[in-house]
Amino acid sequence: MIRCENIHLSYKNKLILSDFNLEVKKGENVCLSGASGKGKSSLLNMLQGYVIPQKGKVFIDGELVSATTVKNIRKKIIYVPQNIHLPVKNGNALIELLSTKSELSKTYHLLKQLGLSKDFLNQDFLKISGGQKQRIIIAICLSLPKEILLMDEPTASLDDKAINLLIKTIYELKNKTIVSASHNQHWAASCNRTIKL
Amino acid sequence: MNAIVDINLKELALGAFLLLIPIGFLYTYRIKMVKDVLINVARMVVQLSLVALYLEFIFDLNSALINSLWVLVMILVGVLTAINRIGLKIKFFIFPFFIAGLTSVLIIDTFCLGLILKLDYIFDARYFIPITGMVLGNALNHNIVGLKTYFKSHTEKQDLYRFLLSNSGNQKTAVRPFIEEAVKMALNPMIANMSVIGLVTLPGMMTGQILGGSPPAVAIKYQVMIMIAIFVGCTINIFVSIVFTNKIIFDAYGNMKEATIKTTRFLQKKIQR
Repeated sequence: MIRCENIHLSYKNKLILSDFNLEVKKGENVCLSGASGKGKSSLLNMLQGYVIPQKGKVFIDGELVSATTVKNIRKKIIYVPQNIHLPVKNGNALIELLSTKSELSKTYHLLKQLGLSKDFLNQDFLKISGGQKQRIIIAICLSLPKEILLMDEPTASLDDKAINLLIKTIYELKNKTIVSASHNQHWAASCNRTIKL
Repeated sequence: MNAIVDINLKELALGAFLLLIPIGFLYTYRIKMVKDVLINVARMVVQLSLVALYLEFIFDLNSALINSLWVLVMILVGVLTAINRIGLKIKFFIFPFFIAGLTSVLIIDTFCLGLILKLDYIFDARYFIPITGMVLGNALNHNIVGLKTYFKSHTEKQDLYRFLLSNSGNQKTAVRPFIEEAVKMALNPMIANMSVIGLVTLPGMMTGQILGGSPPAVAIKYQVMIMIAIFVGCTINIFVSIVFTNKIIFDAYGNMKEATIKTTRFLQKKIQR
């Protein structure tokens, strides 16, 4: 489903990835770990076509990531960002901005699984906690009908209880190929495989 | 209607004595603006005197070619002013902004001069130049506000743009909130102005026409036409500018091109802050 071949990536003369290879099979859940600056977020950006490696190739669902294929590739990807402080009023406003075919009933169900009621979609992002905001964003993202899920530090604002709920929710997802970047050992342990960068 | 009362130069100079009132306030409160006021009033007088000279010349010639060239110069000056005021690089934005200005002028002038006023000679300087000038002048001011907002939002809200681009898979969806914000910033003052026109404000064009001897009913009809023309012209201008801007500032991967954005004076100011 996801394949990186002999990737060489540097940024501002700093080598980030050298001769890096990765293969993630369909339905697999892989966690990228490693200290800050090791290239976890860069790798996730590369999979979405925002960062182009100096050498090597990236394939998503058999398609080489390039200027001509990137639009099609992004239609298959869900991205949960590290920065949850998006400048939008609330969850409903975010759903409206996405204007995709996300099913609201699915979002409500995911919110419930993550320990929040559907009323939280109306809650002002400025008046709720970081953990609540992160769960709302995750629920909205997970309800998108796409196959590949990329998550950058999905547990960063969550407490242990919420992390457990998220792990359970992810475990119950079907037909999703997941790559996440995380420092959290509990999260990493819940994935099929951990790759240290 | 009586003939218009002309103002002779001596009386005009007498009118300038009114300036003593604001200067008096500024001086009393030690607000260091007196020099600026005097310099800029002098500039205004010189500029408008020159405008009177060339307008008389252009009106006498009334040539389609000269008038069209003059309008192109007006668009070009407007575009350069906008680029400079927003803080962008001329080489990237002169063409798209020029096309936006030209599109709005072509549509508005064809509609107003050809279809509404039904002029036999559409390039008649008496109509062609002032109406184009009104549309361009207003579009310039509102475009600067709108486009500045557009660039500012894109640089400050990159995370939202990436989030929407990745999860919707569609660039139109990703830029939509940024366009909305820019268009609202550009057009809202004009909408607010329309809502109070005649009640709180008396527009300059209407006042000018009435003073020039036109019946109020005629002046008001012209004012309605020009207000609609300005609003439509500004809307065309901002949307066309943004559409072309998007083709310039984003690469094929949807990333913002550093060469067009990160080296702008606008951003340098932001970094300095």
